[in-house]
Amino acid sequence: MFLSVEDRRHAFEAEALPHLDSVYRVALRLARDATQAEDLMQETMLKAFRAWHQYQPGTNVRAWLLTILRNTFINEYRRRQNRPEVVDVAAIDDFSLSPLVEEADPAGRFFDQIVDETVLRAIDALPEEFRETLVLSDVEGLSYGEIAAITEVPLGTVKSRLFRARKALQGQLYGYAVEMGYIKRRSA
Amino acid sequence: MRWGPVGEVTCLEALENLYPYLDGELTQELEAAVRRHLATCARCFPHFELERAFLRFLQARTRAQAAPVHLKERVFQAIFLRPGDPPGQ
Repeated sequence: MFLSVEDRRHAFEAEALPHLDSVYRVALRLARDATQAEDLMQETMLKAFRAWHQYQPGTNVRAWLLTILRNTFINEYRRRQNRPEVVDVAAIDDFSLSPLVEEADPAGRFFDQIVDETVLRAIDALPEEFRETLVLSDVEGLSYGEIAAITEVPLGTVKSRLFRARKALQGQLYGYAVEMGYIKRRSA
Repeated sequence: MRWGPVGEVTCLEALENLYPYLDGELTQELEAAVRRHLATCARCFPHFELERAFLRFLQARTRAQAAPVHLKERVFQAIFLRPGDPPGQ
């Protein structure tokens, strides 16, 4: 389909630009650095604008933008990463929150005391494949199918990554809440 | 998957489907079976509610972040005011 430059700008402005916050949030969690995230977002949107003719109207434009974002990150930014990931996800497979809180706080009210910044830091400590899956699901609300397409893995892998990422995050945040005195550690 | 009575799920099967259930990713039949299980299972119900509370908390703490205004302006300019454009457009 041929669009004049003006038409392309209008279409892009109407359809793609409303998702800037979404692109920014994911960029921030992938890069874990504000300056890099800003560059990554700008580059993503420029690429998307230039490739706008490849976008199929009526399909999920946010998923399309996030795919471009992820590919740009992997190809151009990932090797610049120098922050270590600190959570060993394999070690946390058996973590289960319920038994730990069922006496002191079965409804999980201690969560209310944990602020945004602490949660975002905990997400940033997850290994990349778990981090991106959790962010696409829990921060951006994408479906398993959309996440599988963006991250280029089977649906079952999305499910297991999401499961382990959430468990790892719960483990970290529970530990933090105990340390801060928001919940009493279950006596052994 | 092993099934008990037709359309019913065991605790183990309910737990295996915990997140897909909370994420709205199950088939209608399986979702209904898990819901029926939760309505009658005193062990699974609080466990599911705790996980639901966790996901709500996670969303509430992470979805508010917006791109800074200066960055949005930068992106707008990069896309819409490219070199060669007459100024003021």
